[in-house]
Amino acid sequence: MIIDPISIALITLGGVLIGLGVHFIPVGGAPAAMAQATGVGTGTVQLAAGAGLTGLISAGFMYNFLATSGSFTSSDYILVLASGAVGAMIMITVTMFMGQLVYVYCVGVPPVSAKVDKDPITGDQQDIYVSKGTEGHGVPTVSFVSGTIGGLFGGAGGSMVYIQLMQIGNAPADPAIIALAGIFATGVFYVNAVLASYNIGGTIEGFHDPKFKRVPKAVISCLIASLLCAIIAVPIMGGVS
Amino acid sequence: MIDPITGLGIVALMGALATIAGAAEDLESDVGSQSNPNSQVQLAAQMDFPHRIFNKAISGEPPAYGLWCATGATVASVLLVQGMSVIFAIVIGSFAGAIMLGLYSVTAHMGRTASQKRFKQPVYMDMVIGHVPSIMAHGFIAVFCIVSFSYIMWQILEHPFPLPLLAFLWGITAGAIGSSTGDVHYGAEREFQNQPFGCGLNAAFSGNIVRKAESGLRNGMDNVWACAKFGGPVTGLALGGTVFFDNWRSTVFEGWTAVLAGLIIVVILIFANRLVEVQGRKAYGPFKDDDGGAEA
Repeated sequence: MIIDPISIALITLGGVLIGLGVHFIPVGGAPAAMAQATGVGTGTVQLAAGAGLTGLISAGFMYNFLATSGSFTSSDYILVLASGAVGAMIMITVTMFMGQLVYVYCVGVPPVSAKVDKDPITGDQQDIYVSKGTEGHGVPTVSFVSGTIGGLFGGAGGSMVYIQLMQIGNAPADPAIIALAGIFATGVFYVNAVLASYNIGGTIEGFHDPKFKRVPKAVISCLIASLLCAIIAVPIMGGVS
Repeated sequence: MIDPITGLGIVALMGALATIAGAAEDLESDVGSQSNPNSQVQLAAQMDFPHRIFNKAISGEPPAYGLWCATGATVASVLLVQGMSVIFAIVIGSFAGAIMLGLYSVTAHMGRTASQKRFKQPVYMDMVIGHVPSIMAHGFIAVFCIVSFSYIMWQILEHPFPLPLLAFLWGITAGAIGSSTGDVHYGAEREFQNQPFGCGLNAAFSGNIVRKAESGLRNGMDNVWACAKFGGPVTGLALGGTVFFDNWRSTVFEGWTAVLAGLIIVVILIFANRLVEVQGRKAYGPFKDDDGGAEA
């Protein structure tokens, strides 16, 4: 029995990219929904999954178009990854922007980070804009850019898992194979998003947050979890010769 | 492949359906109080503030809407295979999803509230009877619209994913957007109108939610009335924008040009966010002096 090691490695890499991407997404959890913490007012897994799975829909579209119209080359592979990444980036930026409109024009708070004194991108002073009894509020520019990068990694990671499973299935037009690959990619996404969420512990503002230094731990745990997922997924998709 | 003009019309229709779905999804979570702001409804009774706000948090909104939409789309798919017309199949499927939402709402509300007996929080039966139909109605509209644009994507745009999987993924996205945008209006503004405008909620006031309405005691219906003025429509625009922009770029452009078009949209949104940030900083704060010391 031979299992293709490259497929296993790429699915694992996809999982690690998802785990990494989650750390970039600025989420404030329940406190952010009350404008008590910086970031988007929802849970880590929720937002990361929403973005990543939107990317998966885009990637599925592109893969189907390229794989059914001829041979699937390496440049096609990168194009599908990019398409998934951009799909996730669009979802997360639209969501953060609309959330920002609610924070500024409805709740009435300035977007501010409580973890740095100055925004590393715009240079705006942050600490004096943090209102009393809160850990910041809204989505400042540094968190917005960080969230965009998170969408890129999450979307690319989810797409990589999907493409690899489809390549193993080797039937780009078969609805059963597509459904299996799609739901497995979703599952791998959730496994890694939840693992990363434990590492974050509720809230994170983005790459400038001190919690971001915990990323290496998440990479190791996501690597192990994704490897296990890949070992289960590859034979189910028919990747044993 | 369909021609670009027809494609644009289809994408616009999908965007419109997604906008209605997003608004209905958020308003459903306001009537029934789901997701993050519900932590305050749950906390209120424990802080000695018994209330008449509907309390249900079945799960996070994304998995919840993933389930309702997948249920609706699965039922619709089965009926379509049996030869039923598209509209009837989706309506019946969405009704099945709404019934599940209603069932979970009743059990979640009664279970959660009954567990707060020690905090003297009553279970108001008139609230169960009054709120659940409204929750189901909003849920029905959201599921119907999500399954409908998923059907268009699957059948007309020829997306390879099966209809239930597409609806499941879009349901998760709708829930993620609803809990990220509209819920902030409900959580940070409507629940805490007793706190000063222009700053975040001081953590010391957690649980002290507004319990009196414009007339009588406040309930979920009063909350949805207020949130329909901003939170709901903004959520609709967010889901509509996501569906429209993502599909627009792949309908109008092909290959790497579609990727580039998506990146341009992202960059425009980063700059737009900066403009809003600057306006926010001018309008509110600073809350301390330049040394970060005493309150200004």
